[in-house]
Amino acid sequence: MNYTLQFGQVLPYLGYLVGGALLSLQIAFLAFCGGLVIGTGGAAIRVFGPWPLRRLVDVYVGFFVNTPQLVQIYFLYFALPDAGVLLSSYQAVLIGMTLNAGAYLTEIQRAGFLSRRQTEMEAAEVLGFSRWQQIRHVILPHIARVLFPPLANQYILMTLGTSMAAVFGVEELTGRAFNINAQTFRSIEIFSLTAVLYVAITFAATIILALLGRFAFRVKMRIV
Amino acid sequence: MWDHLVAEAPRFFTYWNLRFFVLAGLTTVALSFTGCILGGIAGLALGTVRLTRSKPLSPVRVIAILYTEIFRRVPFLVTLMLVFFAFQLSGVELPLFAIGAISVFLIASAFLAEIIRGGMLAVHRNQWDAAETMNFTLIQALRHVVLPQAWRIILPPAFGFFVLFIKDTALASQIGVVELTYAGKVLNNRGFSATLSFGTILVFYFIISYPLTRLGAYLEARLASTRNPRA
Repeated sequence: MNYTLQFGQVLPYLGYLVGGALLSLQIAFLAFCGGLVIGTGGAAIRVFGPWPLRRLVDVYVGFFVNTPQLVQIYFLYFALPDAGVLLSSYQAVLIGMTLNAGAYLTEIQRAGFLSRRQTEMEAAEVLGFSRWQQIRHVILPHIARVLFPPLANQYILMTLGTSMAAVFGVEELTGRAFNINAQTFRSIEIFSLTAVLYVAITFAATIILALLGRFAFRVKMRIV
Repeated sequence: MWDHLVAEAPRFFTYWNLRFFVLAGLTTVALSFTGCILGGIAGLALGTVRLTRSKPLSPVRVIAILYTEIFRRVPFLVTLMLVFFAFQLSGVELPLFAIGAISVFLIASAFLAEIIRGGMLAVHRNQWDAAETMNFTLIQALRHVVLPQAWRIILPPAFGFFVLFIKDTALASQIGVVELTYAGKVLNNRGFSATLSFGTILVFYFIISYPLTRLGAYLEARLASTRNPRA
């Protein structure tokens, strides 16, 4: 093996890669927010809804949790044009990730909704809380504390999941790494730099989420 | 569009195509299984190292922490590319399946190390202290006291991770491992409609993953019941 690592050739592209990292974060954030809306609705229906709707949510979650996100996006991107729906690669990735996140977040939040205790609400009722006050002061703080750590964890996993957008030609972090690789052929250097950037952005996200959890929901979270 | 699919279906669902899908499905499972079993063994070692307290071992502990933290934060696709190009440049000829399995191994060992360590730490402090009082070494304490109790806590999330990775190995199609997703791409490139090719792939993944998910849920309910009865 006579290959010498030359990071010098790759470093000029650092700014370009960081720009890609921002797009990765953007996709993860948008998909997570969309997923959170779907997940909250889904979990509420799953726990409180009538039977046919509950089954429907089960089918949705079962399908998206048991098939790979990559193939779901493949389907959106390549198969929907057969039905006359044309999506750009960015749209397909965002919609695919949102639907996928929605299914996982439904599962996570369902567990949170189930963790509320009857005694808690009875105690609040004894104290003369109205229905809304019960939700606002007792149930929500409780559910938020239970749900925050798994949601934060899912957010990190989704940030990593955005890398598959590169397969569809979206120029986020991994996509830009592919571009530079095609220009310079310094594969090892580029992908290790990319890996370092992923570690950096997810680590930053972990720290921000841990701080948010500590101050907003009084949840203690480990950073390392 | 529906007429198209119906017209195409007999040409698509032939014996040879289905055989191709089933073999590719087996590759998908084998990829995740190999990586996770080897990753579990490495994860056990990594988790154990992080429980040691002796001073001379502290650099090993630091390496174990760095390893788990880094590989839990690098996307599978990037790891795959790194392993792929590293082997290409080193000149070692390996089948693509092995490259895929090594990538799964690298990620799985980091995640499983955390799961295993978490399970070991969940065993009550008194049990550890008792083992120490009996003058057990760390390995003896793990083998005779901690692991017989911790495996119930470790198994459900570890199994869940294995099932999760069956789906993540779809990315191995990018380096050309002939697994399910790759099979779908091949048939799509051969001119079958994307709806049929990728739709069938989705169904195959579901057939593989759904029973395993149910088994995981069963394991969780079954193993947790004695420790943590549900109110």
